[in-house]
Amino acid sequence: MNRTELLSTVLSLSTEFSPREKTDRPAVLAPVQGLTDLMLKLRDHSELSFDMLTVATAIDWIKEGKIELVYILISSTFKHSLQVGALLDREKPVAPSLSSVWAIAEWQEREIFDLFGVRYLNHPDLRRLLLEDDWNGHPLRKDYVDDFMLERPWR
Amino acid sequence: MEITGMTAATMSNTEVPVSSLDERIKFFQNEPQSALATQEYFVNMGPQHPSTHGVLRLVLKMDGETVREIIPVLGYVHRGMEKKAEYIGYRQQVHLTDRLDYLCALMNNWVMADAVERAMKIELNDRILTLRTIFAELQRIQSHQLWWGVFGMDLGAFTPFLYGFRDREKITAIFEDTMGARLTMNYIQPGGLMYDIHPEFPRKVKDFLKYFKPILNEYDELFTGNVIVHQRLKGIGILDGKTAISVGASGPVLRASGVSYDLRKSDPYGVYSKTQFEVPVGTTGDCWDRYIVRMQEMRESIRIVEQLIDNIPEGPTMVMKFGAKIRIPEGIYYNQMETARGILGVMLVADGTEKPYRLHFRTPNFNNLWSVISMAKGLRLADLVAILSSVDIVVPDIDR
Amino acid sequence: MGLINSQNAPMIEAFPGGPAFLTTIDTVINWARSNSLWPLTFGTSCCAIEVMMAAGAANHDLARFGAEVARASPRQADLLVLAGTIVKRMGPTLQTLYAQMAEPKYVIATGACAISGGPFIYQSYSTVRGAHELIPVDVIVPGCPPRPEAFFYGLLTLQKMIREGESIRRPGERRKPVLAALPPGITIDQIRQELILNLEEKSVTKPLNEHAKMENLTWKI
Repeated sequence: MNRTELLSTVLSLSTEFSPREKTDRPAVLAPVQGLTDLMLKLRDHSELSFDMLTVATAIDWIKEGKIELVYILISSTFKHSLQVGALLDREKPVAPSLSSVWAIAEWQEREIFDLFGVRYLNHPDLRRLLLEDDWNGHPLRKDYVDDFMLERPWR
Repeated sequence: MEITGMTAATMSNTEVPVSSLDERIKFFQNEPQSALATQEYFVNMGPQHPSTHGVLRLVLKMDGETVREIIPVLGYVHRGMEKKAEYIGYRQQVHLTDRLDYLCALMNNWVMADAVERAMKIELNDRILTLRTIFAELQRIQSHQLWWGVFGMDLGAFTPFLYGFRDREKITAIFEDTMGARLTMNYIQPGGLMYDIHPEFPRKVKDFLKYFKPILNEYDELFTGNVIVHQRLKGIGILDGKTAISVGASGPVLRASGVSYDLRKSDPYGVYSKTQFEVPVGTTGDCWDRYIVRMQEMRESIRIVEQLIDNIPEGPTMVMKFGAKIRIPEGIYYNQMETARGILGVMLVADGTEKPYRLHFRTPNFNNLWSVISMAKGLRLADLVAILSSVDIVVPDIDR
Repeated sequence: MGLINSQNAPMIEAFPGGPAFLTTIDTVINWARSNSLWPLTFGTSCCAIEVMMAAGAANHDLARFGAEVARASPRQADLLVLAGTIVKRMGPTLQTLYAQMAEPKYVIATGACAISGGPFIYQSYSTVRGAHELIPVDVIVPGCPPRPEAFFYGLLTLQKMIREGESIRRPGERRKPVLAALPPGITIDQIRQELILNLEEKSVTKPLNEHAKMENLTWKI
């Protein structure tokens, strides 16, 4: 399946998907509400069969006041890939957990919670993954400040 | 699912509870004890432990010698690489990738360089691609040699460690001639290679291959045929294909479970499409299969290098002006490659400046470690060590 | 050598020939200690491959210098080789490990990360800027990662330091490693002067001031 075919198949799957610009892979945007159902559709579709969640991460768009969740799905049978994005409110980022769809999402979501502060609903074990439990703040946010962090003093 | 009907009122942060490690341990403590009423207890494995290959900490719930539950605690070498990446230019990112999975530093360099090249739409000549492929395959052999040595040591045999390192040093010497570094090379740069190869490079590689092919059979005689090794590995840590896919395992771990997914075949980069090689695939997905798949991979890598080493095309080794500032047009770029441990992906979010807006490394060990948890439950503690070693964990790659 | 220790050293010194006797005992003990260092298997990242594994394996053979008995338990080890980055989360564990080691204990910090934070010194929220902020470091071996040969030089420097440094009379007091590593006839002040002259010539004094400011910063784990 080439890029346009893949995109049209995905877009015909649900009206809630909208194409995303400025990516090198086929990419769509999905609403946060009902993300789990949409992902299940993508996983179980016979022609798509995205059974691997390769990347789950987030981007902090501080100017827009949004946090974008980025999921890159890969099909181990058809070897094609798709990027799914979902925009969250930056102040109160809450998203549904995908750990029931792909098992690895449990850890990836813990990492996103750790570094971006996105809270996941129905997550089996939501706690920090890389930093201590009592760490203050979420370091990969663009406005993160830390007394410990040093700026490069020159250049 | 009830999430579909989520309203704005339920989306407040305070209503999503956050757990902690102590609570997690307590969660398993409160479980009812088994009918035999043996005393269940918790053991802390790591962070300083010789067979966790770095500073991995596993909190194990044990029933006698049997592992009941594994709680991995990560972050003991979390260096904040993704934050650091937002402050440095694209050319400097290559230096960070060296320190991710240091055992296949060149392949990591290649992923980063290729991500930048694809985003900038830079065309490379055949010489660069061929040399990169040769270096990547040599590095794969080197990485698997070290794995073989350490695997032997974890199972209680010290000789493989000495043998593995003896042969590993030979490849290290070849790399050192060209790159001047032994472990973290920073050699593959966006736009080409840092220097041209050493004039003696093809001859030395051929010498090495001639030396190493019989050595691989010696490895087999020493270790593969050993009855203790068979009993320690066969039927231990079975990972079926479906679970492997759902946890996103990759590399030899995935292929040992019977899923033939290798980016070198399915999405060829470099000059892999011009070479002949097989992708070794296991059947049951136990430690033994992972062992055999890696041993076969070394032989296939030798095959690839042999096909390429005799006819390296001529041409420049850098197609970009060295030292030029790289500005990537706005957008999200994702690039992935097959390293010795699995798929390493780089997600670049560019905003048109010299520095990335966000950089995310999708590292193979992160997903592979998750597969260990499903494998080791119900087995003995000594089997957990064999499983950890057969998956070939590199902890700085997980923690980043 | 529990019979002769710092408590009864002054007593022995009072006898005729006592000081000479103590010095001989010092020499013997230091010789033995310097040639039987037992390193702890402790590696956090890249440097562990070069410094602990490649150095201890077939080609380089750490056994030539009597330090090949790598122990997994800190209670049996007296040399801590810091191979790799130390992050804040690892800090308390590292201090515990150091406290558990048998006296007299020595620390070699290898690689840029363990010395100063290395590539992660700036803009990292978790990397400790040098292991010396947590535990006393005796010898540093620069490199990223250092070659096994460089580590051997560090190890030999430590051995020299042990042989020349400690005395029963003042236990725990050691000669500074940088002095032990200097070539004969050169003092540390000469090197310092030369460095300052060099920096002034190239007019890079601004970074120097910044570094001076940085040294005053404090943090806690």
